[in-house]
Amino acid sequence: MGLATGDLGTREVASRSGGLDATTRLGVQIAPSPHLSDTWFTTQRLMGEVLIALMPVIVMAVLVFRWNAVRQISLCVLACLAAEAIFARFRGRPAPLHDLSATLTGLILALSLPWSSPWYVPVLGSVVAIGLGKAAFGGLGCNLFNPAMVGRAFVMLAFAREMGASAYVLLDSELSVVTRATPLSLAKQFAADLAAGRVTAGEAQVQMEMAESIWALLIGQLNGSLGETSAVAILFGGAYLLIRRVISWEIPVGILLVSFLFVELGHVFELTLLGPLQHLITGSLLFSAFFIATDPVTSPLTSKGRLFFGMGIGFLLVVIRLFSSYPEGVMFAVLLMNATVPLLNRWTVPQPLGGPVPAKAGV
Amino acid sequence: MPDGPTASERFLNGILPENPVYRQLLGMCPVLAVTAAMLPALTMAAATAFVLISANVIISLIRGQLRPHLRILVFTLTIATFVTIADRFLAAYLYEMSKVLGPYVPLIIVNCLIISRCEICASKQTVRVAVADAVGMSLGFTLALVSIATVREVLGSGTWLGLRVLPEAWPNWGIMVLPPGAFLVLGLLLAGVEWWGQWRAERAALAVASVSRSLQGQSGGAAREEEASSWKA
Amino acid sequence: MTNSRKIRGYLQQAWLVLLLAGAYGGALAGVQMTLAPRIAENRRRETYQTIPQLVPGADRERTVELWISDREGNPARVYRTHDAEGRHNGWVLPASGPGFADDIGLLIGLDASLKKLTGMYVLDQRETPGLGDYIRDADFRRQFQGHAADTPIEAVKSDPQEQQIVVLSGATVSSSSVCRIINTAIARMRGPLLQSQAAASAAGGDAREQEL
Repeated sequence: MGLATGDLGTREVASRSGGLDATTRLGVQIAPSPHLSDTWFTTQRLMGEVLIALMPVIVMAVLVFRWNAVRQISLCVLACLAAEAIFARFRGRPAPLHDLSATLTGLILALSLPWSSPWYVPVLGSVVAIGLGKAAFGGLGCNLFNPAMVGRAFVMLAFAREMGASAYVLLDSELSVVTRATPLSLAKQFAADLAAGRVTAGEAQVQMEMAESIWALLIGQLNGSLGETSAVAILFGGAYLLIRRVISWEIPVGILLVSFLFVELGHVFELTLLGPLQHLITGSLLFSAFFIATDPVTSPLTSKGRLFFGMGIGFLLVVIRLFSSYPEGVMFAVLLMNATVPLLNRWTVPQPLGGPVPAKAGV
Repeated sequence: MPDGPTASERFLNGILPENPVYRQLLGMCPVLAVTAAMLPALTMAAATAFVLISANVIISLIRGQLRPHLRILVFTLTIATFVTIADRFLAAYLYEMSKVLGPYVPLIIVNCLIISRCEICASKQTVRVAVADAVGMSLGFTLALVSIATVREVLGSGTWLGLRVLPEAWPNWGIMVLPPGAFLVLGLLLAGVEWWGQWRAERAALAVASVSRSLQGQSGGAAREEEASSWKA
Repeated sequence: MTNSRKIRGYLQQAWLVLLLAGAYGGALAGVQMTLAPRIAENRRRETYQTIPQLVPGADRERTVELWISDREGNPARVYRTHDAEGRHNGWVLPASGPGFADDIGLLIGLDASLKKLTGMYVLDQRETPGLGDYIRDADFRRQFQGHAADTPIEAVKSDPQEQQIVVLSGATVSSSSVCRIINTAIARMRGPLLQSQAAASAAGGDAREQEL
């Protein structure tokens, strides 16, 4: 977790800076006070809850993309488990497959891939996710970056063609959703056309077409990565996580609020033709707000830190969506903000009950 | 000079034990910038070797006249001269390659490997030792560039030295040709070299331990001393 | 005299540096004098080698490098090409502009009357390997031949019509950047080139005379 001892300024936390790995072994939980012990709270249980919450998303992915979704998900999960076992062997430790973290990494990676990518994309992405994203840092709890996003970034840069906008579209497919470009690619293209002065009258028509599709976006009738087609399914899963208190509200709220504001701003200045609501439910924004950015290892410990973290992601992803050549910015936004987590932890040290810790207490 | 490592020690040290890239982490700029393919990597290695050997020879020849406070000036002057010569030669005889390498040939001037060898070895030891040192270090640098370029070119383009080594169906890993690939490969190879070094050290320690155990079982101090001294040697 | 002693002191300190500086300077001057013609020839050859690809029938050796003021009055380099008999048969414009990753440098070939595009060549590019760098491919470049030079070229995803080219799949930005660079360069230079041509024909000089 990259958290130096004493970052939180409290001795309780300083004594167990090892992250979740250490957490499960020692049976303690890293959090600001009050420290209530709870033996029920284990890595396995946490990951299991997220798996349950992912079920609606997985079901929708399989319904929309059929066999393609099954193939990507099984390849990713199997490759992640295999990689976890191999890298654990390298480090001379028993493979922690039962804690479900590798399964979850595989699922999230799979759900962020296009349906068409050939077998080596999910496999290599999974190996890199577990190897470079997690094992190289010292295993679960010590990784600075979200493993699934590390794996995705790697295959995105390695196989630009297999991961780019064209990978989502197949004109003569039996699946009707994949015969159209993804909404964000369309939005990007129309924005470029508008900027070049090629469309002015067409804008209204595009707008209308997009407005029509809010319903389609909600239930999952538009093209996209496997897990991002249906906003309703993601909201169901996210609500479950919030109710079960597996994730806290600060990160999703930070992301959604700030991205809403900045998209509105961009919309006013005609940088994008999609309205803020459409932006929120397109692409992997919602999926990342509930399932990716909330990874307990790579997000801040304190509630204030988590709020800043979410806001940072929201801001960066809007900047990438509106100004870069990439239609979607979630992956890079999450990775960039992951890098600030140690700093956020340090900046947002909570004040212990009874006043601040004296500078030289106990020395 | 009476003290200091001998020529053969200098030569061998440069290749692996004090490898400029994997052990000293010097010259990172060319290591990251020109290793997307083998040909530019080899050209860069050759140019660096030329500059390093020439600079070491000159500095070693004039080492008796060097004033301490002016020595860095002399080093820089010498290195810059040979870098300019190398750059002009590339532009004249390997024009395409000099375009590929771009600013990285002139940037050999700031490669710390060269000035560090002038300072550590050439300004203190004889020409023979300085040449051995420069050749050893150049070989070590070449080895590092070639190892990184091999991984990057094979995975990123399916070729090695421009020759196809992987089947046409190989999906080129674009990331390997891009800057992130350079950082990833360097990091992984550094880890690999470190791991190999630790493994060797552990094995050596185990061997020493087992020998000393077997010696303790024997009687006769003379034999033990003899064995121990042979180990030290 | 303290002054001369001071100077002697400096010389004692610095004679080696001065000597080396002199020697190195001489060596570099020698290298430069020996190699400079070869390097200049390499540079010239690179541009001139592509000229027959850009303007069909152009003779490499008869190409003339000119500096002409563009629409805003800034001097710009252009190449006036001639066939083997010395008849003026086309123009080559160097142009550059932002691509996906970095500036793209192009050579644009036009016919003598500046009505048609005759070719395009990519001199410098740093587009994404495996996607954008396909702008160098002959198949992509061939699309530009034969379009009219007086209306802009457009990049489309499929079904190219008049004045349209098909983008490389996955590299829309790189492809349309190339179009934009070409359009800007032609818009910038077309008027001045036509003017210079009119002036030349008014003066009654033919290409060969101008060359001399």
